[in-house]
Amino acid sequence: MKLWLGLALLAGPLAAQSAQARLEGRVPGAAIPAVDSLVQRAYAEGLPTEPLIQKALEGGAKQVTAPRIVAAVQVSLGQLRDARDLLVHGGDEPPVTPGEVTTVAWALRRGLPGPVVQRVLVALPRPPRASAMHAVADLVAHHFDPDSGADLIIAAIGQGLVPERLLDVSAAAAHELQRGHTHAEALALVRQELPNVPASPKPTRGAVARARRPAAPTPP
Amino acid sequence: MDVTGAPSDAEVVARVLGGDSEAFALVVRRYEAGLLRFAARMLGSRDAAADAVAESFVRAYRHLASCREPARLRTWLYRIVANRCKSHLARRPIADVSLDEAPAVADPTDTELNLERAEQLALVQRALVQLSPEKREAFLLKHVEGLSYEEMAAVTGERVPTLKMRVHRAREALLQVLEGYE
Amino acid sequence: MNAIDPRIHQALDGELAPAALSAELSRVVERLVTAAALLAAPLPLASLESRVMAAIRRPVPSRARRLLRWLATPRAITFRVRPVWSLAFAAVVALLTLFPLGHEGPDIGEHEGIAQFVGRFPGAQSVHVVGSFNDWRSGSIALEDVDQDGVWRATVVLPTGAYEYMFVVDGERWVPDHLAERLVADEFGRENSIVIVRPARR
Repeated sequence: MKLWLGLALLAGPLAAQSAQARLEGRVPGAAIPAVDSLVQRAYAEGLPTEPLIQKALEGGAKQVTAPRIVAAVQVSLGQLRDARDLLVHGGDEPPVTPGEVTTVAWALRRGLPGPVVQRVLVALPRPPRASAMHAVADLVAHHFDPDSGADLIIAAIGQGLVPERLLDVSAAAAHELQRGHTHAEALALVRQELPNVPASPKPTRGAVARARRPAAPTPP
Repeated sequence: MDVTGAPSDAEVVARVLGGDSEAFALVVRRYEAGLLRFAARMLGSRDAAADAVAESFVRAYRHLASCREPARLRTWLYRIVANRCKSHLARRPIADVSLDEAPAVADPTDTELNLERAEQLALVQRALVQLSPEKREAFLLKHVEGLSYEEMAAVTGERVPTLKMRVHRAREALLQVLEGYE
Repeated sequence: MNAIDPRIHQALDGELAPAALSAELSRVVERLVTAAALLAAPLPLASLESRVMAAIRRPVPSRARRLLRWLATPRAITFRVRPVWSLAFAAVVALLTLFPLGHEGPDIGEHEGIAQFVGRFPGAQSVHVVGSFNDWRSGSIALEDVDQDGVWRATVVLPTGAYEYMFVVDGERWVPDHLAERLVADEFGRENSIVIVRPARR
């Protein structure tokens, strides 16, 4: 027990150390202490730290000033907290997993109202929910009403569609829109097709043959 | 090669891709009548149809290597024309139909039959115009161009159940309009 | 719209023998068959053969000339009307016709997928995609414009998941992916595009 406690105590500073190492040379020096402090706070609250580090790296890459980077990381931390609260309210036992916090934070950032997120959480009591959240968010991005979009995805879940296929459901609805149907017609058409919405095409042989892994970063 | 000795579509495609571009004229002669009829009924204008189909043929020639099943060249061509018609309709609504439309008849001296057929055709065309582009397309492909539902799926990219529903609704809508004119 | 007797649909779809219909239903079927026959009459139109063959025989302008013509021609509607369709068509044609010999590509793991990035940047010297999949480092994923038509492409193996990204053109201009249907505010006053990488083996 003492060993685990010791390791847990070490992990905090280790997490911060790894964040600092990643930020050095990529983010304005003036921002690093404040970002580091926010990362530590997230870690202590059981929240994922990677989204905060990514936001800081993004700001550095986009050559944003230090104060704006810190502000953006603070906003990100707030989003993670909101996501965690929604998960706990939705019935997930604390500590909620960092992966699920990230998933729900995505959903909120993409414009899903909290109540709609909660409806999806109730319909999918256990992870993974990323595909479901993104599928509803895709519908919202196409100006479907959030609740109607959630209805469709929840209906798809109810018909036994695996999470991976939920993105095909939103794609099918968007496809019907592009065919000239109204939003209501598109939802009705796709609903009728459930669970047999067309699957998205797998990558072709040519695409696989051409695919490359990102080049490894060159050492500073 | 079929029983008449004419080269099959797959043979013609192979010849064109092999460098014999003049062989493409065979494709044009073979399919222009059906494609023109389809486009004219979709767009309500023979001139627009001629432009759409001519452009479609040129596009088909330039992208012939991407025709995955040369034996199904016909459905591939209909697909190109159908998409061109939809783009055209998205920019401008269907033109009103001219009553001068005169169908070909077996006996050109029978003017009374000609006139009656012309009037009937104008009525049907007017009813067709009132369908949405998707229903119009589905009805034409099924009942005028004689495609199977599977071929229609290849042309439109839609699933067979969706197409069946569209054809059914198109029939119902057409009947309603035709009965309204009585 | 009034629904009609389903047996009419069955007869017209060849699923029911016409003889099985009552006189009244047969009359309705006949009405539709007659309408279709009228529409099926060939149109008195001149052959397109000479027009099409003349267009085919005309030499295709060089890429530079086509690019100039494209830039000079007002194309607001064409560009605005779902460029995702034409570029998706171009991407599909490219995917179907490109089968490089020899190189099989990387082994793709169970939790990996393929992301395809496409963007139109005529005149660009370099285009990179930068995002949360490469720690926002420019230079690790370069797009290529193999046939010099201004359309830049990259196909990348990535772990499955959702990522934010932008394109960086000529090392300095940050541009969102206009073809991406998913966007999210970046908290820096701009928008990032989102890509969702699904398992390649599904």
